Amino acid sequence: MLPFLARRAVMALAVVWLAASAAFFALRWAPGDALDATMARAGASEDQIAAQRAALGLDQPLPVQYARYWLDVARGRWGVSLVNGQPVTEVIAQNVRPTLTLALAALGIALALGVSLGVIDGLERPAGLRWAAGGLAALALAAPVYWTATLAIYALTVAVALFPGVGAEGPRAVLLPALVLGFHTAGSIARVTAASVRDAARGDFVRTARAKGLPDRDVVDHILRVGLLPVVSVAALQAGFLLGGTVITEMIFVRRGLGQVLLTAVTNRDYPVVQGLVVLSALVYTALNALADVLYQRLDPRTRREG
Amino acid sequence: MRRNPRVAVALALGVLIALLSVLAPLLATHDPRATSPQAQLQSPSREHLLGTDLLGRDVYSRVLYGGRRTFGVALLTALITLGPGLLIGAMAGFAGGWIDTLLMTLLDALLAVPPLVLALALVTLLGSGSVQIAVAVGIAGIPPYGRVTRAAVLEARSRPFVEAARAIGARPAGILTRHILPTIAPTLLAFAGVTLSWAILNSAALIFLGFGGDISAPDWGVMLADGRQAFRTAPWVALAPGVALSATVLAINWLAESGARD
Amino acid sequence: MANERKRGRGPLRLGVLGVLLIGCLLLTAIVGALALGDDDDTTPDAGNMIVYGLTLNPSGFDPHIHQSSELGIPFYSLYDTLVYRHPQTMEFVPGLAERWEMAEDGLSWTFNLKQNVRFHDGTAFNAAAVAANLDRIMDPDLGSQKARVLLDAYTGYEIVDPYTITLRLSQPYAPLLDVLSQVYLGIASPAALQANTNNSYQWHQVGTGPYKLDEFVPGSFIRLVRNEEYDWGPVFYAPVTDGSLDTIEFRFYIDPATRSLALESGELQVVGELLPTDAELLAGNVEVTVYQVPVPGTPQQFFFNTRHAPLDNVTVRQALIYGTNRTEIIDAVYQGRSPIAHGPLTSTVLHYDPEVEAMYPFDLDQARALLASQGLQDLDNNGILEFEGEPLELTMVFSSWNQMPDVAQLIQSQWRELGIDVELIQVPDFPSLRQRVRDDDYDVIAFYDFSVEPSLLNRFYLSGAVNNWSGLSDPQLDQTLYEAMRQTDPAARATLYSAAQQRIMEQAVVLPIREYVNLVGVSSDLDGVVFSAQGWWPLLRNFQYSG
Repeated sequence: MLPFLARRAVMALAVVWLAASAAFFALRWAPGDALDATMARAGASEDQIAAQRAALGLDQPLPVQYARYWLDVARGRWGVSLVNGQPVTEVIAQNVRPTLTLALAALGIALALGVSLGVIDGLERPAGLRWAAGGLAALALAAPVYWTATLAIYALTVAVALFPGVGAEGPRAVLLPALVLGFHTAGSIARVTAASVRDAARGDFVRTARAKGLPDRDVVDHILRVGLLPVVSVAALQAGFLLGGTVITEMIFVRRGLGQVLLTAVTNRDYPVVQGLVVLSALVYTALNALADVLYQRLDPRTRREG
Repeated sequence: MRRNPRVAVALALGVLIALLSVLAPLLATHDPRATSPQAQLQSPSREHLLGTDLLGRDVYSRVLYGGRRTFGVALLTALITLGPGLLIGAMAGFAGGWIDTLLMTLLDALLAVPPLVLALALVTLLGSGSVQIAVAVGIAGIPPYGRVTRAAVLEARSRPFVEAARAIGARPAGILTRHILPTIAPTLLAFAGVTLSWAILNSAALIFLGFGGDISAPDWGVMLADGRQAFRTAPWVALAPGVALSATVLAINWLAESGARD
Repeated sequence: MANERKRGRGPLRLGVLGVLLIGCLLLTAIVGALALGDDDDTTPDAGNMIVYGLTLNPSGFDPHIHQSSELGIPFYSLYDTLVYRHPQTMEFVPGLAERWEMAEDGLSWTFNLKQNVRFHDGTAFNAAAVAANLDRIMDPDLGSQKARVLLDAYTGYEIVDPYTITLRLSQPYAPLLDVLSQVYLGIASPAALQANTNNSYQWHQVGTGPYKLDEFVPGSFIRLVRNEEYDWGPVFYAPVTDGSLDTIEFRFYIDPATRSLALESGELQVVGELLPTDAELLAGNVEVTVYQVPVPGTPQQFFFNTRHAPLDNVTVRQALIYGTNRTEIIDAVYQGRSPIAHGPLTSTVLHYDPEVEAMYPFDLDQARALLASQGLQDLDNNGILEFEGEPLELTMVFSSWNQMPDVAQLIQSQWRELGIDVELIQVPDFPSLRQRVRDDDYDVIAFYDFSVEPSLLNRFYLSGAVNNWSGLSDPQLDQTLYEAMRQTDPAARATLYSAAQQRIMEQAVVLPIREYVNLVGVSSDLDGVVFSAQGWWPLLRNFQYSG
């Protein structure tokens, strides 16, 4: 276990370093910088802008800025927003909870819906529902989130006031966005589940077991345990995506969160904030994937034979 | 082998959409870019089969031409994602050890960079546009596909017949291509379908966020985003491209899945 | 085989589905816990409350530092300014200053301040407070983006006595009072400024205004509560009644399509920048009233890049203005809810010259004739004019705000009739826009700003000005604009600005499209809905729930 963890830790550091560096250069390649987003728009003179740029250290050559960034990080200084001076850690801390709530809720709905649809589709039973399951999954994959969201908001908050409206506060406000986001995520989970379950159902073990007259329930159970394995990976993947991909959902539903922080920061070229988010994102992904791998090993009934 | 009605439907749908896209110049009734502001937001009529949008353009013609762009983008994205994704995932899953660790680290790093940041960087280097979006989305799609491939390879690798093949001394490359890949092909194909769908939708999302490029070109993603503005007074503006998009994605998914089974 | 199966099933006795079910329940429990804990504590006794929708999340909310007009929406009511512009008459009326006087030579202004005014933190307002604010704004370390730029000719102050302060100028500066009437020069409590860093102050703002800051969570909401002690407001502030607002919560509604939906579901009571099509829809809804609020400044417009041929030829530029059907654009994109703009300033700006309205009526024939007269012809009959042997194509750059993409697409169609191809480039944000300017990579570009004061022109039309994106360099115009800035006699200024506006249009460096009209949706329960003279900022003091 220990060498496994050690290896994973090293990988995590490597991932974080690579991702943050990629983001570092990506942002600085992008046209304009934070001062364009703010000072130039108001008509500040080139001198004033240049002075501010120097004060913020943005006029240094890239390798210098790069080195300074990592030196600061080593000292635990994650920087402050170039735009309003708030510490990056504070910005993230203030916004992590609503995103987490939304992402987890959406993941829950996605798993429940996706696995159900996928299993029904893959096992091809109950017979009547199969087409509906496949169709629903296809629908979930086939429309952009911003569209379903708009329709849902109109239908379920204006036409029929089933949910709180856009921008509401309180625990119930997470329901509609989670439903929409979860519905879309369910699509890919359902697809993969269906294919994998169908595949498992054709395996040798199943044929043998049926021939031997094993109770149906056990056979199905085995199919599922094999067939649902890839779901673990997909779920981990989707979980990571959800955390990063809530940008549009948060914007449309007027919810606070890391997605909206990212969007604003990218628009304003607020480098420290974006990089802080990328580092966080890297850590989360690595953790999720490690978890997925561990679960995989423990759950696969065939690999367990090897101890 | 049972003939799956789904395959028939998907095939029919796919062929229909492809045909309509190819024949767009013949079937269209108007220039898809021609604006006619006095005729804005008209409901479907004999002159405009699917009505007009905010700038008075014919929705029917735009939907016809829009198919070409969508297919083009989807194909490009697929190439960029599936090729490298398959390669990397298979290598990592099969070789294991430090190769696996290295490749997974690279993929995770790519995955950790939010697509928004990635898109911005690529748009900077290459300019705005649907091709650039396709590239950005394509690259962003490599890690998920690589991961799923790797997972599938790992799972297949532990199967008895693979052990058997190894025991009799078959070469690794042979094992990979002749035994493992065919086994995991269904899952991979299914996920390829999913990836393609994501690609189409993520492109639409990037367009929605403003990385679009040629905004007057007929493009289902652009039409959907614009259609939101008037969806209560003129729902057909978004409904038409929406149905087209959904039908295309549906066809892709069902074909991928059925192709896997044959 | 049987043994393995039993072993494998050990912990999973419930079967896969059972495990999944438990997993889901667990997840739900976690989510529930998170969501319930996420409950922002709303003020227990909110009294009369409204939720006000902001439409963009600016990079910061400190009026002394940041420049977005958006920040004035909440903070115009948190601060008082030395003087105010009356929203109807546009005259200057006393604010924190009771009276003021300009010296003979125009190089200084003396302000007599109101007494018995207190900041929200209880400290007294006086000349020293004004001084502290001016020091802050002029401090280079602060990095003021707008306030300091607006102060321009200001050089320093002199405290004459505890309630009198004199401001010194390097030259006579006519816009001074207007500058002092804007939220960027709102007077903050020196104690609060001291107690915070330059950056942290924006979360703890303290002014003298009719509302005070209760809580500010960046990106999420801003809450203001009524200042009970407030009785030193300008004449146009209404007295407090039972219907007056006690609490105002500002939230961010960045996506235009959902603003009207939020209004209709009752989640919002006020939101600006409604989509024109939504405004049409809401016209039939008795629960919502749509106000059309003109915002003075430059119109929504495009600049021609005079550095790129053939746009270096004034006749060609004029042809393009003649050839643009603004009425068609406004009817289609803005549902006719805006006046056409004809000049570099909107009709609600001080010293607007109506003469510009006759200068470029829509005339396709005239446009074609002018283009032909400059040697632009379609020799190969493909519908596109040739310029230096190549088909004429112009690059048009704009961002996604305020329906500009739709405007650009219509212009593309209209200029196609003239035989000109237009390449449309939509940039996702302002830094990208600015980069294109730096790279000189545009022929036509959209950019505009807001102000009641015509000296706004300086930023766009003075030679070498930082936002002079047309590349215009006209010494005669420069002279006129400088003179107009120094001239304090209104009649003289009017003459000078007339000359400036006409000159700019003669040079045809700008294509004005429409005067900005903010479509504000307001719950019909609210009365007294008035906006400041600058257009964007609501006079929250006057809003009230009707009985």
